[in-house]
Amino acid sequence: MNRRPAMQIRTNPTQRLNQGAPRPRDEPSLESGPAGGVTDSAQEKSGSDHPFHREFRDLDIAVFTARDQAGEQLLRELQRTRARVQHIWPIPELIPVSYDVIYCDLLNDLPQRLPWLPGKPDTALVVIAAATQSLDLKLLHNCAPHAVIHQPVTAQAVLASLLVGRGHFLYERRLRGRVDKLDDNLRTMRSVERAKAILMQSRSINEEEAYHYLRRRAMERRVTIGALANVIVDSQELLG
Amino acid sequence: MRDSTTSEPWRVGVLFSSSGFMAVIEDTQLRGTLTAIDEINDAGGINGRPIEPVLYDPASEALAFGRYAKKLMVEDGITTIFGCYTSSSRKAVLPVVERLNGLLWYPTLYEGFEFSPNVIYTGAAPNQNSVELCRFLMERYGKRFFFVGSDYVYPRESNRIMRELVHHNGGQVVGERYLDLRAKRSDFLPVVRDIKDAMPDVIFSTVVGDSTVNLYQAYAELRLDPKTMPIASLTTTEAEIRAMGFDVGEGHITAASYFQGIDSKRNLNFVKRYKKRYGDDQDTNMCLEAAYFQVQIFAKALERANTMDTEILRPSILGSEIEAPQGKVSVNPLCGHTDLWTRIGCANRRGEFDLVYESQAAVKADPYLIGYGRSIAFG
Repeated sequence: MNRRPAMQIRTNPTQRLNQGAPRPRDEPSLESGPAGGVTDSAQEKSGSDHPFHREFRDLDIAVFTARDQAGEQLLRELQRTRARVQHIWPIPELIPVSYDVIYCDLLNDLPQRLPWLPGKPDTALVVIAAATQSLDLKLLHNCAPHAVIHQPVTAQAVLASLLVGRGHFLYERRLRGRVDKLDDNLRTMRSVERAKAILMQSRSINEEEAYHYLRRRAMERRVTIGALANVIVDSQELLG
Repeated sequence: MRDSTTSEPWRVGVLFSSSGFMAVIEDTQLRGTLTAIDEINDAGGINGRPIEPVLYDPASEALAFGRYAKKLMVEDGITTIFGCYTSSSRKAVLPVVERLNGLLWYPTLYEGFEFSPNVIYTGAAPNQNSVELCRFLMERYGKRFFFVGSDYVYPRESNRIMRELVHHNGGQVVGERYLDLRAKRSDFLPVVRDIKDAMPDVIFSTVVGDSTVNLYQAYAELRLDPKTMPIASLTTTEAEIRAMGFDVGEGHITAASYFQGIDSKRNLNFVKRYKKRYGDDQDTNMCLEAAYFQVQIFAKALERANTMDTEILRPSILGSEIEAPQGKVSVNPLCGHTDLWTRIGCANRRGEFDLVYESQAAVKADPYLIGYGRSIAFG
């Protein structure tokens, strides 16, 4: 395979050099190249007119699953989204996190292999479950995934899992950011009030003027009103 | 589903440090937890099933609390965890219990400004200790404050609130220092010398853990006088006083919901049982007491709910009332914090606190200080 594949796929040079050598047990290999059986025409047929595909194209996706028929099918469908897809096998003790979305088999010890704490995920997680086996709901809950996909996959299910999984992860992250911001605001509002009172007293101005002063100064200094208020309260303290 | 046929234990997680620089106080919280569990089991358990604690020692490492919380919930299949002293450790456990929908029972005073539907807070919020302490100190000793704290979340946030209170009531913060959580006595000596130079009326300390002892001993070494310039604290309990020496602790001030010296039948009984179990020279303290009564609240709620499912258990907990060693307390349904007593004590020669102030009843928890302005009603 000399021609560069249509979509960018990361390759591992060492792996390429040692293609014939048996794979060391503990070092996961990075298999590369388009999944077997995919033709360029199939890739070109992929729905690039779909508005979400532009978004998918910039994603780094890692897939941790056996490269059997079902695994190949999943890889193929993911590649059709034009995302950068990397297959990693065997599944390492600690799942690496430098990807936008991770697809991983629902291993019995998957929660332990995820390097993050539940509630603080580093990346979107889509769990791969076999449609034929019974589903361990407790285990699934403990993985706290953003989406689940059952094998054998269909094109639609892969697209849905990618969209929903990534969407949930980002939404969760925005909500966490919002909560942090709200917590922050609650504290700074007390400082702002305090700074306002100091200004009203020291400059003999009314409430509106004090707020106006804070806004203007914060803008001039390119700091937040809260940060400025903290400075005012602290310096008042230093001056006694 | 009411299942009366099983005698399977109710398994709960317990996360307190038995080693590392927080062990002095966290070990007493562990004892308080286990004492309550044993008493409940001795009385027949809950609906015929005993409580079985699963213990890990996070060794005073905040991140280890998060990892063990994950282990408890994921590997041990546990949903209710009793634990945490420092705010950093609580914040490490928070995302885990929130995402997997568990319950953390947090028996420690903290800086407030938090609400998680997956935490039951049984230690004091600032409106239950700081506000009254500030008023008392200003009236008794004067308005010039020096802040000394450990360098992490709780002291800085707590001092922000205290500063507001001091400042708004005509007081002044004449100095502020933060030291490493592992600070030694030699690290405190230059700070105490600075304090000596600044001559405040009160030293407000948010130093926690082992280094508490080092601060008070450095103070004693430089021969400052607690009668005119006491160290006031929200965290120095009977446990720390014992560790530093009764003579070193004498005359210093602590605000807490509970002191060992509370003169009620219920408390005398509690102290007696505790000493019988751990030895006559072992004292109770506010963190231990909260760790103890929160298990009792849990037990009563679990008896009604008969399930560890957080979705059913939590509503059963909110609004619960109990006769704790400190007096009657209840879990405030609005904020998941506990309505607690406010008390101020002065350490005496026997390592106990003499009461110098006591609220008339439990004070409603107001973690966001919504109902508190910055002015204190002096009276």
